[in-house]
Amino acid sequence: MNSKTNLKISLTLIIIVAIISIGLKVKPILNNYDDFNSEEVYKINYRFFFKSGDKNTSLKTYVPRSNSRQRISKENIKNDSTLSFVKKEEIGQNIRAIWNTKDKNTYHSVNYEFVFEGKDRNFKIPKIFNVASGKYRKYLKSTQNIQSDNEIINGLATQLGQNTKNDKEVIKNIFDYVYAIPSAPIITLTDAVTTIEQNRASCNGKSRLLVALCRNLGYPARIKGGIIVESTDKRTSHAWSEILINETWVPFDALNNHFGYLPANYLEIYHGDKSLITHTSGIQFDYTYKMDQVQHISFLKMNSEELHDLPGFSLWYLIDKNVVPTGALHLLLLLPIGGFLVAFLRNIVGLKTFGVFLPVLIAFSLLHTGFVSGIVIFVGLIMFIGLISYPFDKLGLLYTPKLVISLTTMVSVILLATHFGIKNDIEWLTKLTFFPIIILTISAERFSRSTLEDGYINAIDKLFQTLIATSISYLILSFSWLPSVLVLFPEIALLIIALSTLLGRYIGIRWVELFRFKPLLKAGK
Amino acid sequence: MFSIIFNKKSAKASGVIGLNERNIKLIYPNNPKRHYPLADDKVLTKEILHQYNIPCAETYAVIEYNSDIKEAWKSCKHYNSVAIKPANGCGGGGIKILKKNKKGDWMSNGEMITDRQVFQHMASIIMGFFSLGSHDRVLIEECIEPHPFFCEIYPQGVPDFRIITLNKVPLMGMLRMPTDRSDGKANLHQNGVGIGIDMKEGRLLEVYDGKEYSNHHPDSTFLVNGTPIPYWKEILKIAVATAKAFPLNYLGIDIVIDKNKGPQIMEINVRPGLGIQLVNKTGLNEVIKRAI
Repeated sequence: MNSKTNLKISLTLIIIVAIISIGLKVKPILNNYDDFNSEEVYKINYRFFFKSGDKNTSLKTYVPRSNSRQRISKENIKNDSTLSFVKKEEIGQNIRAIWNTKDKNTYHSVNYEFVFEGKDRNFKIPKIFNVASGKYRKYLKSTQNIQSDNEIINGLATQLGQNTKNDKEVIKNIFDYVYAIPSAPIITLTDAVTTIEQNRASCNGKSRLLVALCRNLGYPARIKGGIIVESTDKRTSHAWSEILINETWVPFDALNNHFGYLPANYLEIYHGDKSLITHTSGIQFDYTYKMDQVQHISFLKMNSEELHDLPGFSLWYLIDKNVVPTGALHLLLLLPIGGFLVAFLRNIVGLKTFGVFLPVLIAFSLLHTGFVSGIVIFVGLIMFIGLISYPFDKLGLLYTPKLVISLTTMVSVILLATHFGIKNDIEWLTKLTFFPIIILTISAERFSRSTLEDGYINAIDKLFQTLIATSISYLILSFSWLPSVLVLFPEIALLIIALSTLLGRYIGIRWVELFRFKPLLKAGK
Repeated sequence: MFSIIFNKKSAKASGVIGLNERNIKLIYPNNPKRHYPLADDKVLTKEILHQYNIPCAETYAVIEYNSDIKEAWKSCKHYNSVAIKPANGCGGGGIKILKKNKKGDWMSNGEMITDRQVFQHMASIIMGFFSLGSHDRVLIEECIEPHPFFCEIYPQGVPDFRIITLNKVPLMGMLRMPTDRSDGKANLHQNGVGIGIDMKEGRLLEVYDGKEYSNHHPDSTFLVNGTPIPYWKEILKIAVATAKAFPLNYLGIDIVIDKNKGPQIMEINVRPGLGIQLVNKTGLNEVIKRAI
């Protein structure tokens, strides 16, 4: 047998092994498909400690419920036997957990644990809102802390509502005004009017002011309470606002600049101007929220152990034990896929690109920066480098030192732009983190090299084709489920080797050559 | 569906070879990578050509170190014209043609050039200015003067023949000529034109400018189609001799006809382009089939 046959046999074996190994896992995975598709999962634990007073003592707190963007499960309550526990739904749909005790002057502890799975939610705000029906009348009323009929509020609301063309603009004006108020970590209660007077507030003052201004102008609005979930222990809860737009409560967070948007890690707990925790006064009381991020595969209902027990080989261990940072692991897993894609584009389609992995890496940077702004920054910088190299070309500098000049200029420009972006709050200018900078720098080097080797026109042509390959890679790489599939089925790497072998032996005409050799191909037919 | 993606049929019927097939079937098996420098480095190419007495521009000097520049230039000063080239330059960068005027001053591109400027140019070749930073050598050689035959078709620049050989057999040829738009360059992708060649008869065929075929060079009225090529037999002969001299079996050999000395090898290429198929309206596979 010659080496060619040996290679063929081993490749066939590899493919068979890969397919069997994949096949073993397909069924359990399909059986556990989860259409909720949460982005982030946390185990959250309310931990309360208190010493009961002289009389009957009670402790109340709101607890979250599932809705279309959050799922609450595996509720687990631990408390000492002397405490009685009830869970009650209030008329306004909030759920309250209540612990009572008749024991006096004793120490108690409560653990209320649950799993929170969250997705982000982006709302499109229509220009004109329908008039809200009468059942929402109570969300227009003035209250003690949301003084929507107060003169100052009235004046401000009128001013913000002036010269606007539609409802969306009114809301935008109100939001921008409240967002612009400097934030301060004020823990005492701040009402709407005080927020204006002090011109500084934390989440609770800002959300009350936003609600008051909306109510004043006839938009039903309410406070929403919850926690911004992070992997840490903390004591702070968070409040934001919701405005009723065409029968939907749309979230607005004027502290963190979320306009009609709720991030995946916002845990919604209650609505209305309430306190998350209340207890009998005069007792000793302390608490923390203990939160741990749980690694998960977004489209699977399996917990960590179940994933470990999957037949065959998977990379779940690396994710679960945080051996490699998740982002880096995803990059590693996606590189072969992207590389194969580029190989296809080069050898079958006939695109000319700067390197094999560069389009994939640029696509990765675009995942960080966003597609459009990333492409704009990328092309802008490369053209800039082209312009910079021109006078140095004239000077007759050697290649490597000239490269150092353009790279140094590039890094300086990126840093200046980031500085300028942060100072003036221009978000897209600040998105270039370390990784994209490296990639952009390498690309610019390749481009300026190509201008020397192939001339400007060919270099720009090649840049354009690289951008096409980059965009296609971006499209594939931005499927959020793809890395998870690769974690579950690392055998795909073997299939890529097999497919690349086939691709490597392909001798057909490339698609672009179809156009190039059109006259000849026609004659052949 | 696969036949659409991999569109094999139409190419097979026409005998056209694409880049994939060229690489896998012609270049990889025929041209061992370790021998590439023999073609890519002009100095090495010429050493072999001289060794086999294949006609090519006489080598006046090869300069490897800055310290040798002065001495070498001194030895060349008695010639009336020289060509200075980087051994590993790409795309014709760094090539300077120097000619003496009546007073005996050196001229380059119609302008006077001082010894100092010549030294500087050579130093930058050695430091790799035209070969992407790697150390390079300067090649000073005899300046080729195109045969008057070419003047009738188009008077400017240096035209050359490209002959493709496989296993020492000439398969296909074309004449590449500069145009008004090509800035003296004869390469097809730099706006030069290609003229097909009837290999048996040694006659020129149609002119291909990258888009259309015609019987005239775009910038002249001289009827190209059917014109016999001078020295055609010698051209084929030195092409075969060259192919035999190198351990490379698939080559693009560039040949010029000097006014006085006849056909001369200019350089050889291990990855010749595929545009020659369009110029000759024939697929390479077609020709290979016939040649075997």
